[in-house]
Amino acid sequence: MKYLPLVWAALRRRPGRTLLTLLSIVTAFFLFGALQGFNVGINSAFQLMNVAHLVVNNRVSMNAPMPLALGAQIAAIPGVTALTPINFMAGAYQRPTNIQVVLGVDIDQLFKVNSDLHASSEAREAMRRTRTGVLVGRALAQKQGWKIGDRIPIHGYTMSKRDGSADFTFDVVGFYELDQPEWAVRIWGNYAYLNEARASDKDTAIEFYVGIDDPAKSARIAQAIDDTFANSGNQTITQNEKEFFKGVMSQIGDIDLVVNIIVIAVFFTLLFLIANTMAQSVRERIPELATLKSIGFTDSGVQWLVLTEALLLSIVAATFGLLLAEAVLPRITSVMSSQGIGPMHVPRAVYGYGALIALLLALMSGVPPAARARRLRIAAALAGR
Amino acid sequence: MAAVVVLKNVVKRYVRGKQRVEVLHSLDLTVESGEFLALMGPSGSGKTTLLNLIGGLDRPDEGEVMVAGERIDGLSSGQLAKWRARHVGFVSQFYNLLPVLSAERNVEVPLLLTNLSRAQRKRNVQAALELVGLADRAKHKPAELSGGQQQRVAIARALIADPTLIVCDEPTGDLDRESAEDILNLLKTLNQKQGKTIIMVTHDPRAAAYASRKLYVDKGRLTAEPERTAA
Repeated sequence: MKYLPLVWAALRRRPGRTLLTLLSIVTAFFLFGALQGFNVGINSAFQLMNVAHLVVNNRVSMNAPMPLALGAQIAAIPGVTALTPINFMAGAYQRPTNIQVVLGVDIDQLFKVNSDLHASSEAREAMRRTRTGVLVGRALAQKQGWKIGDRIPIHGYTMSKRDGSADFTFDVVGFYELDQPEWAVRIWGNYAYLNEARASDKDTAIEFYVGIDDPAKSARIAQAIDDTFANSGNQTITQNEKEFFKGVMSQIGDIDLVVNIIVIAVFFTLLFLIANTMAQSVRERIPELATLKSIGFTDSGVQWLVLTEALLLSIVAATFGLLLAEAVLPRITSVMSSQGIGPMHVPRAVYGYGALIALLLALMSGVPPAARARRLRIAAALAGR
Repeated sequence: MAAVVVLKNVVKRYVRGKQRVEVLHSLDLTVESGEFLALMGPSGSGKTTLLNLIGGLDRPDEGEVMVAGERIDGLSSGQLAKWRARHVGFVSQFYNLLPVLSAERNVEVPLLLTNLSRAQRKRNVQAALELVGLADRAKHKPAELSGGQQQRVAIARALIADPTLIVCDEPTGDLDRESAEDILNLLKTLNQKQGKTIIMVTHDPRAAAYASRKLYVDKGRLTAEPERTAA
C-alpha cells in the first residue's frame, strides 16, 4: 500500500491520457456488461414464454396472409382445444412515430388459448358488445394515458378501409394484465371488425393462435398442423411461442454470436490502446524509473510498479464499466420490455469474466513495458542512452 | 579516519558499435570518511563512469570496488539495489524528481524501502526539508519550485535515509551562479557539520573549490593535477 502513491503519481503524470484510456476501458466493459445483460433479457424472455399454445404462420413468409378457412382444419386436429385467427393493423397514434398495433382476434377464443391473459368478465363482455372495442395491456394504457371510454384514432399504415381512408377509431373497453406486468403492451381488437372494414385481404389471417390440451405434445401437434397443409398452396410453419420468438430473433441474427464478436473486437482494440498507453508512459519515465532504481528499488520492484499501474487502470475502469451497465440496464429494460425482452441485469458470472479479462488486458499490455523497466540499466538510462 | 571508498585496479570498458573502448584503466582510489572529494575532468574523461562504479550503479569489468566496508563489484543486481538504499544518496544534474509528487513526497521515496511507520517517515522528511531550507515548500510540486529549490529537494532525498556516502553528478550544472553557490554551500555544510562523505563530479573549478580534495580524471586515469597539453 505504501507504494500506491508512486503508482498513482505515474497515472496522474498525464491526466488527459489516463482519463481517455480510462474512459475507453469503462466504455468497453460497459458494452460487455450491457450486451451480456441484453442476452440475459432475451433468455429470461424465453424462460417466461409459454409452450402451451402454438402460433401458425405462412411458411413462405411470416407476413404473408393465410385463408381464414385453414382455421377450421386446424381446429379439427386432435389436441387442439381453441383457436383464433389474427389479423393486424399497424398505424400511427397522434404522431407518426407513435406506432401502435391492433391485433384482431376472436376474444373468447383468445382467452381459451392463452391462460396467462387476465381481464375482467366486464371487459370481455364489453368486447363482445362493442365491434370497435379494444382490450389494452395495462402497461401500454399507463404509458399512453388511456382509460376506459377513450376513443383512440389510429391512422393505418398496413391496412386501409374500403372507403379509401386509413383512419380507424377504436374504443377502449377494458384492460388486460399478464403475470409479467411490463409485457402487457398489446392491443387486442375484434377480428370481425377489422375484417369487414379492410379494403383487401378479407377473410385472411396473418397467423392462427392455437390452444392445445397438453404442452408436452406441442411438437407433435405442431407437426400435425404443418403436415395437414404440406401439399397445399398454403404451407404452414407451426411453433410454440418460445420457438416463434427465437425464429424472430434469428431473423436479426445469432444474438450470442453477434454479442461475442462485438465483445472480442472491442477488447482486442482495447488491448492495443492500453499497450500503447503503457509503452508511452514507460518511455517517457525512463529517467524517473532509473532514479527509483538508483535510490534502491530493485529491478523486480520497478517492474511491479509498472505492472500495478496497468492492473489498477484496467481493473478500476472495468469495475466502473460493469457497475455502469448494472445501473443502466433497468432503464433499458423499461424501454425494451414492450419488445418482449425480459428483465436485464449483469450476471454474476460476467463480473468474474470481467475481472479475468481486465487481468489479462493488464498483463498483456503491462508485461512488455514492465519488462523494459526491469531491464533498464541505470547508468545508461540516466545518461539518456 | 577510515576509508569509505577503496578502488583497486578498476577497469571499465564499453562496447561502442563493434569496438570495445576502455574508459577506466587500472584505476586506484581511496576516499576517507568525512571527505568532500571533487572529481574533475573534461567531457568523456570517465568521471561519471567512475562515480557510477562508486555508487553501485554500474559494475567494473576488472578490479575491486569496496564501499562502506563491503565489496560491491560482485553483488547481484538485487543485492546492489538494497546496498544502494542503505549506503548511497544520489544527486544528479537534472534533479530527477517525480513531477506529480510534492517536495515532501519526493523526499519520502527512499524511506518507502524502509520499515519506518508513516508518522516516522513524515518526521524525517520534515527534518530533511528543514536542513535544506525548504520546510515551507513541502507541499509544492517540482514545477512550482526554482531549479535551485528542486536541487535542494533532490539533496534532501539523497540525505533522508542517512547514507554513508553522497554522490553528486554535476549538481550545479543546470543552475545559475547564485543558485549554484547556495547548493555548494549546502553540500559543504553537510560535509562539515554533519560529517557526510561527499563525492562530486564537476567540470567547474569554482564548484570544485568547495571540496576538501580535488582529483582529475583524464583519459581514464586519476591524477592529482590536471594534465597540461604542450603549447
